[in-house]
Amino acid sequence: MISPRQLASTVILFLIGSSSLFLLGGNADRDAWMSVLVGALAGLLLLSCITLQIQKLEPDRNLIEIFKLYFGRTIGFVFGFIYVIYYSYKCIRNVREFADLSIMFLLPDTPLSMVILIICFISGYAVLGGPSILFRMVEVLLPILITIYIVLFVLLLSAGLIDLGRLMPIFEHGFKPVWAAAIPEIISFPYGEMVLFLMFWRYIAADNYEVVMRITIKGYVFAGSFITLMNIITIASLGQFASWSVVPLLLATTFVELGDSLERIDPLVSLLLFSAVYVKLTAYYLGASIAFSYLFRISLRIAAIPIGIGIYCGSFWFKSYMHQVNVGFERNLKFHFPIFQIVIPIVLLLVMLLRKKVRSKSNSASSTKSVQVEATNEARKESVDVQEAISRQ
Amino acid sequence: MFKKQSAGNDKQAGDDQRQHGEQLLVPDLEQNMERLERFLGGGADIVCRTLTHRSFPNQRYVLFYMDGIVDGTAIGTMLLGLLEDANSQVKEEADSLYTHLMERSIAVGKIFPATAIEEVGYAMLEGSSVILVDGSLRAIIIDTTGGEGRSVEEPTSQTVVRGPKEGFTENLRTNTALVRRIIKSPKLRFDYKIVGRETRTNIAVIYLQGIAQDDVVKEVHRRIKQIEIDAILESGYIEEFIQDKAFTPFPLIQNTERPDTACASILEGQVVIMVSGTPFVLITPVTFVKFFQSSEDYYQRYDISTFLRLIRMTSFFISMLLPSLYIAITTFHQEMLPTSLLISLAAQREGVPFPALVEAFLMEITFEILREAGVRMPRIIGPAISIVGALVLGQAAVQAGLVSAAMVIVVSFTAIASFVIPAVNMGIAARLIRFVLMILAGSFGLFGIMSGLMVLLAHLCGLRSFGKPYLLPFSPLIVSNLKDTFIRVPWWAMRKRPIGMASNQIPNQNRIGGGKRPDPDQEGA
Repeated sequence: MISPRQLASTVILFLIGSSSLFLLGGNADRDAWMSVLVGALAGLLLLSCITLQIQKLEPDRNLIEIFKLYFGRTIGFVFGFIYVIYYSYKCIRNVREFADLSIMFLLPDTPLSMVILIICFISGYAVLGGPSILFRMVEVLLPILITIYIVLFVLLLSAGLIDLGRLMPIFEHGFKPVWAAAIPEIISFPYGEMVLFLMFWRYIAADNYEVVMRITIKGYVFAGSFITLMNIITIASLGQFASWSVVPLLLATTFVELGDSLERIDPLVSLLLFSAVYVKLTAYYLGASIAFSYLFRISLRIAAIPIGIGIYCGSFWFKSYMHQVNVGFERNLKFHFPIFQIVIPIVLLLVMLLRKKVRSKSNSASSTKSVQVEATNEARKESVDVQEAISRQ
Repeated sequence: MFKKQSAGNDKQAGDDQRQHGEQLLVPDLEQNMERLERFLGGGADIVCRTLTHRSFPNQRYVLFYMDGIVDGTAIGTMLLGLLEDANSQVKEEADSLYTHLMERSIAVGKIFPATAIEEVGYAMLEGSSVILVDGSLRAIIIDTTGGEGRSVEEPTSQTVVRGPKEGFTENLRTNTALVRRIIKSPKLRFDYKIVGRETRTNIAVIYLQGIAQDDVVKEVHRRIKQIEIDAILESGYIEEFIQDKAFTPFPLIQNTERPDTACASILEGQVVIMVSGTPFVLITPVTFVKFFQSSEDYYQRYDISTFLRLIRMTSFFISMLLPSLYIAITTFHQEMLPTSLLISLAAQREGVPFPALVEAFLMEITFEILREAGVRMPRIIGPAISIVGALVLGQAAVQAGLVSAAMVIVVSFTAIASFVIPAVNMGIAARLIRFVLMILAGSFGLFGIMSGLMVLLAHLCGLRSFGKPYLLPFSPLIVSNLKDTFIRVPWWAMRKRPIGMASNQIPNQNRIGGGKRPDPDQEGA
């Protein structure tokens, strides 16, 4: 099982994930960090009012089981399948980011297919170990990565790169560009991605659901502040250049020199960034695999294989890194991801609340109740079957 | 010596014998003797001494033992007593010869009756002496186990500067006594078992009742019981049978030849498994950090202990990573190096015909061969190996331009670092992983190393030792246990037993009463 502390670590590293690669809210120029902050607050609202509430109504089920229970077998299956595809697609995007940037910064001569294969393999190894392996890994990784980040910030500071004057003036063009940059882009990436945790929350070993909620929100708040801080540091050290470079944070670190011993630390920093991306893509891979295993009632180990192959092949769909970024920021963030992160969860929550109400009303009318109970029992039995199949592995 | 336990506790062994058609003793002495000889297959080391008692002139009795595995002094004393007794007159005529012998005439502490030939035979194979009495259905087994063995010496594989110099020996009884002498607690439990169809090796499972977790103890018993093998010659056999996962480079069970290490583990709630015939005892369940701790850390001051532990951890990473980092940086990421170093490295490598990966592999394999030669060769040839190793393979290889001097430095440093890890089996893990990482570094640079480390981390996170997570104080994180991991806080600050290993049933987890640090001012006032 997964301990609350492991959940918090995973929430933090998952959110930091690939968001450290980009200058979030770049459209707001030097007010980008305000956008990030606004996005984080809006995301918090989404998380606590929608996503966590869904889980609160059914604390012992994951998203796929909830779909099946409330939407019936067929529609539930369709919705579940859509989410498998959504998770896999998010994973593909992260794999591609990881691979392209690795080639760009570390391995100029290695073929893309090879790098993607290795990424899929190291991520698949963690997924095959079961749901808790990733969470345990993150618990070990988080303190190390946070320490390195702090060292990095100190190095940037001591190199005299950080100039808070670059953040001034605040609200030069008013609040409007800040808001426009935040909604919906920054909600969909990274904060709205918490919808993935609907696959994981039920594995948390906590006494009651309140603990899970509190821990998740704590992790979220930490990650939100961290991402904002990172944004501030990037803008403060690079100024106008921040929105032009491929990976702004990496560009900033190229100016750091460690005494006379290490001339360039950017290969090390890229490893740091990539480990967070690794956590994120593995979490998506794991989520997709669990969802797939529940949909088709197969064990996680078997489900991870078709998902892995799908992710590997899907990664070649993007023609280049720029194509990938462009598709992501121009289309997905604005039109596609909000459907999965906001629209469907709201619909689901409404349906859940409605049916709960119907059920509580029908306590007097026994005929409807028996149908309801039957449906519930059937779904419950199904979920138990799947759970058994998984635990047998 | 262990016959009593095996006769009493180890019902399973008894059951086995009964299944094979246990032969009970009969009143006829001649027949019993013949059957016993047949059971043991004769042999020159079986000593047979026939005696008669003055009060029972019609009944003979025979003393049997196996020469060499019995304690000569005990046999001498016993025989003297028996002879003296044989010449004396028994007052109470009602006594049978058997009860008389059993109760009045044997000058050895531990004796007990037996009724079957097999039981008598196996007792003799363990070093007991046996008296068969004419007309009696029971034999007397006398514990005279002894014989030649190594005395308690300083352990050779785990040495310390400060701390006890005693080491375990091959004799199980000596070893249990060494533990008993340190932990004089009535809660200390020794569960004896016999494993191995042919060797019938004695095994002791040692733990502290109430502090060790019951389910762990039960699990140890269950796994040992499942072992079916003809011979157990060393604790390594047991280790491979009972560890949680077979395919891992990391040791899931610790071994030690130091009684103080074993006792410290018992006191923290771990279970110790001793195997007769080897000084290496097993400790389980165990966590990753335990392999970087030496018993000396607790005897030296905490500051130097913490420093040494950090050094060991660093050495582990050096011995695992240094060659691969060198390969990755010189082949893929030269920009990381300062320019002057880069130029000097490039100059050195100019004449070297191989890529860095091949060069590193050559040197690493050479070193592994040297190390293996150092372990296996007869001691007298030692200096020859070091001359050949150091001069020919090091100096001359560089001068001939086969390898670069920097590579020789890297390989030597890696080699020395691998000796720093106190547990040899953890050092071996680093040695094996090193080669995989070197290949990854040679093909994918830092990216390859990081991929390797991620897989390694995932692997470590999935490992368990008797159900306990292998990375225990770190994942799942137990903050109070961090006091004794890569750092060691002063003794007075380690108030509680480490959580997770010891049973949580006991109400008082405090090891130190009050837990106050020394404060002379307060005492003076």
